[in-house]
Amino acid sequence: MKSVKTDELQIKRASDAALASLLNLTILPVISFIALLLIHRKTQADTIDHYHAVLGVKINVIAAVVLFLVSALMILLGGFDSPWTWVYVISYFTIVHTIFIVFALWALVRAWSGDRLWS
Amino acid sequence: MKYESQSIAKLYFIAAIGLFVGQILFGVILGLQYVIGDFLFPEIPFNVARMVHTNLLIVWLLFGFMGAAYFLVPEESERELYAPWLAKLMFWIFLVAGALTILGYLLVPYATLAEITMNDLLPTMGREFLEQPTITKIGIVVVLLAFIFNIGMTILTGRKTVITLVLLTGLVGLAVFFLFSFYNPHNLVLDKYFWWFVVHLWVEGVWELIMASLLAYVLIKVTGVDREVIEKWLYIIIAMALISGIIGTGHHFFWIGAPDYWQWLGSVFSALEPIPFFMMTLFAFNVVNKRRRDHPNKAATLWALGTAVMAFLGAGVWGFLHTLAPVNFYTHGTQITAAHGHMAFYGAYVMVVLTIISYSMPIMRGREAANARAQVVEMWSFWLMTVSMVFITLFLTGAGILQVYLQRYSEDPMSFMATQEKVEIFYWMREGAGLIFLIGLILYIISFFVKGEDVKMLGSSVSIEETS
Ligand code: HEM
Ligand code: HEM
Ligand SMILES: [Fe+2]
Repeated sequence: MKSVKTDELQIKRASDAALASLLNLTILPVISFIALLLIHRKTQADTIDHYHAVLGVKINVIAAVVLFLVSALMILLGGFDSPWTWVYVISYFTIVHTIFIVFALWALVRAWSGDRLWS
Repeated sequence: MKYESQSIAKLYFIAAIGLFVGQILFGVILGLQYVIGDFLFPEIPFNVARMVHTNLLIVWLLFGFMGAAYFLVPEESERELYAPWLAKLMFWIFLVAGALTILGYLLVPYATLAEITMNDLLPTMGREFLEQPTITKIGIVVVLLAFIFNIGMTILTGRKTVITLVLLTGLVGLAVFFLFSFYNPHNLVLDKYFWWFVVHLWVEGVWELIMASLLAYVLIKVTGVDREVIEKWLYIIIAMALISGIIGTGHHFFWIGAPDYWQWLGSVFSALEPIPFFMMTLFAFNVVNKRRRDHPNKAATLWALGTAVMAFLGAGVWGFLHTLAPVNFYTHGTQITAAHGHMAFYGAYVMVVLTIISYSMPIMRGREAANARAQVVEMWSFWLMTVSMVFITLFLTGAGILQVYLQRYSEDPMSFMATQEKVEIFYWMREGAGLIFLIGLILYIISFFVKGEDVKMLGSSVSIEETS
């Protein structure tokens, strides 16, 4: 449900936010996250651009935790020199990372059409 | 169905599905031979079963592409097929030649097959995926030429659309690159070059054009989104595919005796190869999100979305995983390669063929979409096959990582066979996932025979004519 009427500028900003989120997950980490935070500051509560900026920040923070923290734990617990550690870490990282990317892709498409994730 | 001659596709699709079953049966045999070395020996040795598995894959995908073209081109071109009789004739020639070749693999030793097919007149046999006797290869060329002539004349004398032109370019490329399989130089480095000019430039070049156009066609049909939007996407996708894929061939030249600069060229350009696959996902998501109708064929929409995502996963992600020279130095020719090969072939080409079959088969059988119960069964088969393929890939990736570590990375490397013993558990699990894949495939076939009430397009402003 759209609580506030969305205008072009908001859709543009929502799309930028979703794109920054996707880029941070793929080829341009960190810089894109800063861009995302900057976009977030420009938005107001209850608008579609705010929604997508917040969503992007959430996806990326969760992804960072789930990918880096869990992988680090796996390495700590499994031991750096054990081949099995790397079996789990590489498989886990690849598949979970991809799931986040596909999710961010869907978010981008929704932002383009000025929609929330599910409506 | 608007044009009578579209129904020729049905023949091709039935043959494709039949050969697909054969391919998977041999896959399961291979998987078992990995853990029980003398299973079916000496009747079906591993190398023979492998050849049958991969050759059936290529042949049924070709049947699928041809069927897809025969279905889609008349409708896009707004005219009957140029020569329907030729399409039917070629079908039987291709089927008989294919069957004889497979029987040849199974019934006589490969060397004898080479001898009785007079391979020494023009030696082309013995290379992975291109094992077919020279006369079979000539047969394939004849069938492809007749096919392209037929499709080409239909396109050029009818309405031209971006979809048919991209498709035709892809198909011509497929035929042209296959010609490299006739050149078999003695110099092994040269030989590898030309082998990859077929294999790589197919799957990471011209086949991508075929895939993108088939996907675009089905998406227009099931979503009702404007052609103009879809055409823009198509242009960008094929441009990216060719820009990255052609020089990206270099990712196969790292260790074959080619000049060093290929390590840079191959790494950099092939690192861009995921982009077209990535864009196909974005494209499919975008079009489905903007859909202007809810087509009753839910299964076809699911297959289309699944194709986009799984191709990105198998080709894009799993390809990138081992494409940079410093990584490939360790992973080259390990189970990592097999993991990627399986998911990429399934996610991109198997799934896109199943997508167009899912969309067109009900239409050729006189309805818009299969009945609701049949669709449920079909969607079950989608999930069973897709999820089990993800697991096959994960198990092979696990095996591959362990293999690389023990055999190539560790301080005191193990021998090949000692390593294989260490990773056996993964091979057992792969076989389990393979059996589930087979169950999914059986369910897929059953879905064509499930009876129930017809489903109609609901609340749509678009007439049935438009969609069928
Ligand atoms: C749908 C598209 C694709 C298919 C069907 C596919 C399939 C395959 C297959 C079957 C092999 C094994 C060939 C052999 O027998 O040696 C292979 C190798 C390879 N593929 Fe792909 N592939 C695709 C896309 C990609 C992409 C996009 C990349 C890179 C980003 C890639 C990177 C590689 C690399 C580096 C190898 C060589 C592995 C080695 O050194 O052993 N592939 N591919
Ligand atoms: C649609 C599904 C499938 C596709 C597209 C497919 C494709 C392929 C390809 C491209 C290769 C050559 C790999 C390479 O050169 O690296 C291959 C080999 C093989 N496949 Fe499949 N396959 C499928 C299903 C299966 C299943 C269900 C199994 C068994 C459980 C299986 C078992 C094998 C085995 C054991 C090999 C030989 C690997 C080797 O030489 O080490 N495949 N398959
Ligand atoms: Fe390649």
